[in-house]
Amino acid sequence: MPRFAPGTRVRARAADPDGHTRLPRYARGHIGEVVEVLATWSLPDATVHGVTQPEPVYTVRFSAAELWGSGSHAVLLDLWESYLEEVS
Amino acid sequence: MGGQTGFGPVLTDDDDDDGQFFHADWEARVYALVRVLQRHKVINQQFDELRDAIERIPPAEYLAMSYYERWLRAAEMLLAEKGLLPDA
Repeated sequence: MPRFAPGTRVRARAADPDGHTRLPRYARGHIGEVVEVLATWSLPDATVHGVTQPEPVYTVRFSAAELWGSGSHAVLLDLWESYLEEVS
Repeated sequence: MGGQTGFGPVLTDDDDDDGQFFHADWEARVYALVRVLQRHKVINQQFDELRDAIERIPPAEYLAMSYYERWLRAAEMLLAEKGLLPDA
């Protein structure tokens, strides 16, 4: 079951992983809102090592102002559940 | 590296203005080689393993390479790591 429902505010994890990841550096530590639950896919960070780790993948909307401090547009990123934590 | 400070804008295929996916025969051969290696499960079929290898190319080499030069270098690294090629 997906942990986050559409509309949930989530924070992208700030940690810098050693290997490949699909969480862009510019989004790390920033807060966005879940737009939809896309599908279940294996976490790329694990797939690299031959491990299949299926997880929900979400489309998350970040405002440009949140990411870069200015701008009126938004950025949509498809992010695996491991990349996200709930904003309390 | 377009989009990073000092590296100019993000270039897309539209910027080439020639509508070609490959700009030399060797590029198509590298693409085909990687797809065959994936098809035969020598390397991961989801591209994560290739992306991880591309990100492990030493930065000075990486920055000086074209897109398919990076694919070729990454494929050589993976084949060497799997014992299928002498160290590249």
